[in-house]
Amino acid sequence: MVLLSRAYAFITVRPYLAAMFFTYLRRELRRRRKAALVVASGLALGIALVIVVSSVSSGMEKAQGKVLESLYGLGTDMTVTKAAEAPSGSGSGEDGAQRPRFQFDAQDGDSDEEQSSDRVMVQGFQTLSTDTVTKVGKQQGVADAVGGLSLQVIKVSGEFTPGQFQQDQQSGEGGGQGMPGGTESGGSGQPQGRVQGGGADFEVNNYSVYGTDVTEADLGPLTSSKITSGRTFKSSETNAKVVVADKSYAKEKELSVGDKVTVKGTKFEVIGIATPDSGDAAANLYIPLKQAQTLSDSKNKVTTIYVKASDSQQIDTVKSAIQKNISGTTVTTSADLADTVSGSLSTASGLASNVGKWLSIAVLVAAFLVAGLLTSSAVSRRVREFGTLKALGWKSGRVTRQVVGEAVVNGLVGGALGIALGLVGAYAVTAISPTLEASLGASGGGAAGAGGPGGNGGGPGGGMGGGMRQQAAAETLKVALTAPVSLSTIALAVGLAVAGGLVAGAFGGWRATRLRPADALRRVE
Amino acid sequence: MYVLSGVTKRYTRGKETVHALDGVDLTIAHGDRVVIQGPTGGGKSTLLQMLGGLDRPTQGSVELDGTDLAKLSEAKLTQVRSEKIGFVFQSFNLIPTLTAQENVETALVPLGVKTAERRERAAEALRSVGLGERLGHLPSEMSGGQQQRVAIARALVKQPKVLLADEPTGNLDESTRDEIMEVLEGLWKEHGLTFVMVTHDSSLARKAPRLVTIRKGKITVKENAGA
Repeated sequence: MVLLSRAYAFITVRPYLAAMFFTYLRRELRRRRKAALVVASGLALGIALVIVVSSVSSGMEKAQGKVLESLYGLGTDMTVTKAAEAPSGSGSGEDGAQRPRFQFDAQDGDSDEEQSSDRVMVQGFQTLSTDTVTKVGKQQGVADAVGGLSLQVIKVSGEFTPGQFQQDQQSGEGGGQGMPGGTESGGSGQPQGRVQGGGADFEVNNYSVYGTDVTEADLGPLTSSKITSGRTFKSSETNAKVVVADKSYAKEKELSVGDKVTVKGTKFEVIGIATPDSGDAAANLYIPLKQAQTLSDSKNKVTTIYVKASDSQQIDTVKSAIQKNISGTTVTTSADLADTVSGSLSTASGLASNVGKWLSIAVLVAAFLVAGLLTSSAVSRRVREFGTLKALGWKSGRVTRQVVGEAVVNGLVGGALGIALGLVGAYAVTAISPTLEASLGASGGGAAGAGGPGGNGGGPGGGMGGGMRQQAAAETLKVALTAPVSLSTIALAVGLAVAGGLVAGAFGGWRATRLRPADALRRVE
Repeated sequence: MYVLSGVTKRYTRGKETVHALDGVDLTIAHGDRVVIQGPTGGGKSTLLQMLGGLDRPTQGSVELDGTDLAKLSEAKLTQVRSEKIGFVFQSFNLIPTLTAQENVETALVPLGVKTAERRERAAEALRSVGLGERLGHLPSEMSGGQQQRVAIARALVKQPKVLLADEPTGNLDESTRDEIMEVLEGLWKEHGLTFVMVTHDSSLARKAPRLVTIRKGKITVKENAGA
């Protein structure tokens, strides 16, 4: 209150007296530059720290937002997936259904014909019925719900040639040794000989396909990518053999608009190339949902339902409504997903929000105190000066105003320095833009990608049992950290500068008010 | 015109109570010139503070032109100081960052004098003490004698009724001392002020028409008809 009235009086000094106020103020600040600079730089440091920390924090938030966005697509508030069932010895069990098998016939040795086999699997092997999409869409608070089917395609292609029986004449003859584990000829045959030259030359190509609901272009993973070439799906292309390819995948496979891509024997025409806004794309290829369902023999099935809530404040309510009303589902909100974000991003954002916050508060408090004490001690050193002014008939308030005025100017100078320093700091962070890694835990995250092939056992002529292990997939995204300085941050800094000046002024002013005019008669400095 | 009656000032310093002034009765007529002397710690400064309205007595009254300063509020006292009393200090007490002219102006600030008039009056006061050429100089650029002249100009610019000087020549060498005394006496005569000066200097004390000696808080007054 006192400060306010002081500040008000400070503003409303009568103009013909103001001249002396400002002359005195200017002279004091100029003459006591060093002391003023100490106070100002203390405040500057605190304020700069606040700017950097808060801008880095908002950069972190942005980075996290980007990470989540790249998984979800824009506008998605939550996803619904099938509730996870206890994994039954995945990767090692005999569960044939979950282990894709590739069957190749050995060909005549002279044949160079390439064989290939595609295995299309539903990612995560857990599906929801399309009825569920409708049900979710009808829940209260749900603005929109759209289903999508994530597929993982493993394509094995190459040449397979059988071993040839050769009579054992002289050992050490050239020719590839039969692969271990390959079919050995029955050992007891006479004449002595062995199968030689059998082998396989094949490659494994693993990519992801996302079946998107082309009638709902506003929701789903494709919204976080921009079509940078060609076009996106028309809403009429519900069952068209068209594909939108992710840019990096297209580059790798040298695909461009108009090319054909074959997935499990079906030819798709590339109509567009999509470039993700940040991070990784949700899939390598996007095709209409129906096509994806056909390819994977999962008619009317989806893996993930993307939900948009009608009120972003009501997300938790909607989440519990869905979980309660539709059994067997897991609902993951952005907040849930954010909790699973680990890696340097979350470490850094934890640092920024905790250590950074406390550090800047500590530095600010210290800066305020130092500014206050320095101002107060400056007043003490000028006891005779202020005592003289009081003896000359200056009112206590006028002397105090002078002190507070000096402190406020110091604060403003400190604020300006601090803002400059903070902007430089924030700019440096943005310029260096350290890369942060965000690992997304797979817990309940239907959007998390499937792992690659666990390992390929192989042998010539025989069947290949490729063990596909469904990993507890953790997706790692790289996000560059920026430190955007918002106007509100600057406003905060200015506010802090003025506050710092007033705190310092309060210390000094309090000291000045208590000075007696008789102090003018003090003989010793 | 000052009428002091039964003025007592007690300080507590730790457990000790110091009687800086002990029932002082003193009348100083308008236009009088009084010198106060006495040993250090005898109460000279305290008496000057009472006269200047810088402090209030514990007991008794300090009347200046019929107003008891002891009973005035801080604000009223400040106003009396700004209008009626000019101070000159031993160590000049100029504001180091302000020029000679601005230092003199500070005395007019509480009177609400407008900037232009303030400047003119300050310049005029400085001319009257022989510093017309030094208006824009900082105290640090002037000699001790010049600084004290600035202080005298500051004390007189508001045309006070009373001029109080606390060892005004204490920090000056002998020739400067005489110079300053000349200025002060000249102004005293010219303006018809009441002039009260505290000094250690017995040669100055001897010349005073009225000499107040203060010892252990009690005064003795000696009229010097020859001065």
